[in-house]
Amino acid sequence: MSSVPASAFLALALILFCIGLYGALTKRNTVIVLISIELMLNAVNINLVTFSKYGMAPSITGQVFALFAMAVAAAEAAVGLAILMSLYRNKKTVNIDEMDQMKH
Amino acid sequence: MMENAWLIPLFPLLSFLILLLIGKRLREASAYVGILLTLASLVFSILVLFERFTEPTYITKFDWLTIGDLHLTAGFEVNQLNALMLFIVSLVSFLVHTYSKGYMHGDERFPVFYAYLGLFTFAMLGLVISPNLLQTYIFWELVGVGSFLLIGFYFYKEEAKAAAKKAFIMTRIGDVGLFIGMILIFWQTKSFEYSEIFRAVEAGAVSQTMITLTAILIFIGAVGKSGQFPLHTWLPDAMEGPTPVSALIHAATMVAAGVYLVAALFPLFQASQTALLTVATIGAFTAIFAASIGLVQTDIKRVLAYSTVSQLGYMMLALGSAGYVAGVFHLMTHAFFKALLFLAAGSVIHAVHTQNIEEMGGLWKKLKFTGPLFLIGTLAISGVPGLSGFFSKDEILVAAWEGGHPVLFLLALIAAFFTAFYMFRLFFLVFTGEARGEQKHVHESPSLMTLPMLVLGVLAIIGGYVNTPWFGSFLGDWLVDGNEALGHGHIEGPAWIMIAATVVSLLGIYLAWLIYGKRSVARDWLSGAGGTLHTILLNKYYVDEFYQLIVVNFVKGFSYFLRFIDVFLVEGIVKGVAGFVQGLGITGSKMQNGQVQTYGAVAFIGLAVLAVIFALTGGYLK
Amino acid sequence: MTLTGEFFAFMALALVAIIGGVLLLNLNKVVHMVVALIFTFVAIAGIYILLNAEFVAAVQVLIYSGAITIIMLFGIMLTKPYDDEGESASNGSKWRRILLFLGVVGFAFAVYVGIYNFPIDQVPSNLHENNTLEVGKALYSKYIIPFEFVSVLLLASLIGAIILAKREDKEGDSK
Repeated sequence: MSSVPASAFLALALILFCIGLYGALTKRNTVIVLISIELMLNAVNINLVTFSKYGMAPSITGQVFALFAMAVAAAEAAVGLAILMSLYRNKKTVNIDEMDQMKH
Repeated sequence: MMENAWLIPLFPLLSFLILLLIGKRLREASAYVGILLTLASLVFSILVLFERFTEPTYITKFDWLTIGDLHLTAGFEVNQLNALMLFIVSLVSFLVHTYSKGYMHGDERFPVFYAYLGLFTFAMLGLVISPNLLQTYIFWELVGVGSFLLIGFYFYKEEAKAAAKKAFIMTRIGDVGLFIGMILIFWQTKSFEYSEIFRAVEAGAVSQTMITLTAILIFIGAVGKSGQFPLHTWLPDAMEGPTPVSALIHAATMVAAGVYLVAALFPLFQASQTALLTVATIGAFTAIFAASIGLVQTDIKRVLAYSTVSQLGYMMLALGSAGYVAGVFHLMTHAFFKALLFLAAGSVIHAVHTQNIEEMGGLWKKLKFTGPLFLIGTLAISGVPGLSGFFSKDEILVAAWEGGHPVLFLLALIAAFFTAFYMFRLFFLVFTGEARGEQKHVHESPSLMTLPMLVLGVLAIIGGYVNTPWFGSFLGDWLVDGNEALGHGHIEGPAWIMIAATVVSLLGIYLAWLIYGKRSVARDWLSGAGGTLHTILLNKYYVDEFYQLIVVNFVKGFSYFLRFIDVFLVEGIVKGVAGFVQGLGITGSKMQNGQVQTYGAVAFIGLAVLAVIFALTGGYLK
Repeated sequence: MTLTGEFFAFMALALVAIIGGVLLLNLNKVVHMVVALIFTFVAIAGIYILLNAEFVAAVQVLIYSGAITIIMLFGIMLTKPYDDEGESASNGSKWRRILLFLGVVGFAFAVYVGIYNFPIDQVPSNLHENNTLEVGKALYSKYIIPFEFVSVLLLASLIGAIILAKREDKEGDSK
């Protein structure tokens, strides 16, 4: 049996998630915001993998879903960055607080 | 004929409506509309009056409002008093309509004037044929509106504006009393009908205290309308209106409405000795009070106005002394000679373009027609034997004496002396002596103005012979016929009263002649002797100033207090609420800034708050 | 709790991951932040190994520490490099930060309460045996359709990213 309790992994995931959240909501640089979102996804992956081992019915499914999440995250990062490029060409800035055209 | 009496008020209403619609196009021709339609009223009124001499009282009514078991009726009634009032009102109204054609000639708002006259005449005629209190009250207020409009006819003059407002507000104070009294009567008797009220009062269904209370409250309404003390101050100010209006409204008809009301509800007043005594006391006091002010006024119309107040006091005194016939009789004769005096005064003003009697003088030769007519009116109001005022005033004095009010009788006698004195002072100052002011182009008024005066002059002479101690009391017998509660047609009094009244009035005339006619007594003999008294009289006993000091300032202070509450408390709360909502809105709209991070932050903080609450309370589990 | 090697490994990895995250928030230069994040990603890969997920750990290193980080660096370089994350001086943003910090702490507290009270009975598992084989079996049998969908998603995002990032031809030039 493991000497590290499942709640320790969950707590770590929680801390990383909170850091990612705070970064995503406060940083001005859009690239950093994207990275912060990746961090949040990672925290979720930790949870998935933790439950795949320490859940009520341990199985490989948790790990498979962590893989899916990674694939989606990769796709998201690619598209997000492409959008950022496109925006930067038009506005010459990556500051997220200057991208407020949607309010009009 | 009597069943068609309801048409009488409708003619002036028709005139009002026509002039309202097409008056501007008719211009001066609108006078003919008014004159013809009031003539129709007059003819109908005369027919009704003559028919009423032989026929019994006619009354008809229909249900106006039905609320549960309650039936409010509307209709009209032709009894003796109403028929007489119809005749007086339509006659004076017709004469004033005719007179105004000359007097108002050239005025820009000529048709409007006739429209207002029509409205007023309608209201007044409607008032005198109302069979119940509610209808009376409606027309009572309409009369007030007509009066307000006509006093303020020269609304570009500040004084006229203020006078109109004053008249409206002062009479309003009385109307509140009338309104409360009316409601109390309705509460007690479950009816507004005069006949029902009298029946209930006679049957003792209403307690004595309640009768006294309602009678006095209704009398307060009459006090306001008839310019009795202490609500008399509006009437002299109302002279700012055109002179024909003063003759019609503020001498002959509307101010008599208060007297009419007391007369119409006379059985109610008779049931309470206290109410009668109040009416008599107020009347006598007003009579001498106003007469003493009239002694020193210099504005011709104001002298007449105070004389009107004083004469109305006489009528109230008569009614309060149970002299129903005397009061109504004086109401009639007063309408004739006071309208005559006002029209003559209007003619004088028309001629010399001033109202200050100090600037007149020596007009007797220049105004060959107006002068004698004015003299007739003066003699009549002074109570010189042979003219109408003599008989009616005598009746009142007898009623006061026989009614057991020696003090009031004495006051009335002194007031009679004052009346004779100030009226002849007026006459001598205006018509005799040398011209004092600048008088250019003094000319007699056109016949359109003198003819109505002639009619009134004749009536002022012969009007009294319908009820005299010598030739029979036809009017009195007729008025009380079929209604014993109203008292005797004629009250027999000791002969010395008549002699005393004659002597007193002749004394007043002689004194006036000494001072103003012959000038053997210096003019400042009296005012010099009682300097303070003269000043007090000149300032009308400072009643206006007293009201200003006490009532107006109090109301002003109170309204400032209320304004303070409104501005700081009510508005503060309102502004606070509005500001809060506005601030919320501004904050909310600032949130809408297009910043995704802000949106995310707000959404997340909301979630966090929920999560914390959930964690602390345990959600549904606890 | 016994002081085993596993425990020390966990503590070390967790510490690295958290320090990497904190540095991400506090460093001034954008490139430094990305580098700090690499530590976090690698540490998380180590955590996966502790959780008997070798294949996921390998993918984590490949995709996150490798591909995504590189993409991000490219992104930074293609835009304005070294864009200083200067404190936006406006008062509103300061207040927002404070509020947000409180919110995050509150949220963390609430979730921690949930974790603390979460009843976990440890059940022995055999995930460590032939882990990669088992993942492959699951992917290609039970989860074959989602797996194919992911590949379609990746293709779509690939094309989409290319179209978005391509410099648009000026309309005037094409005509």
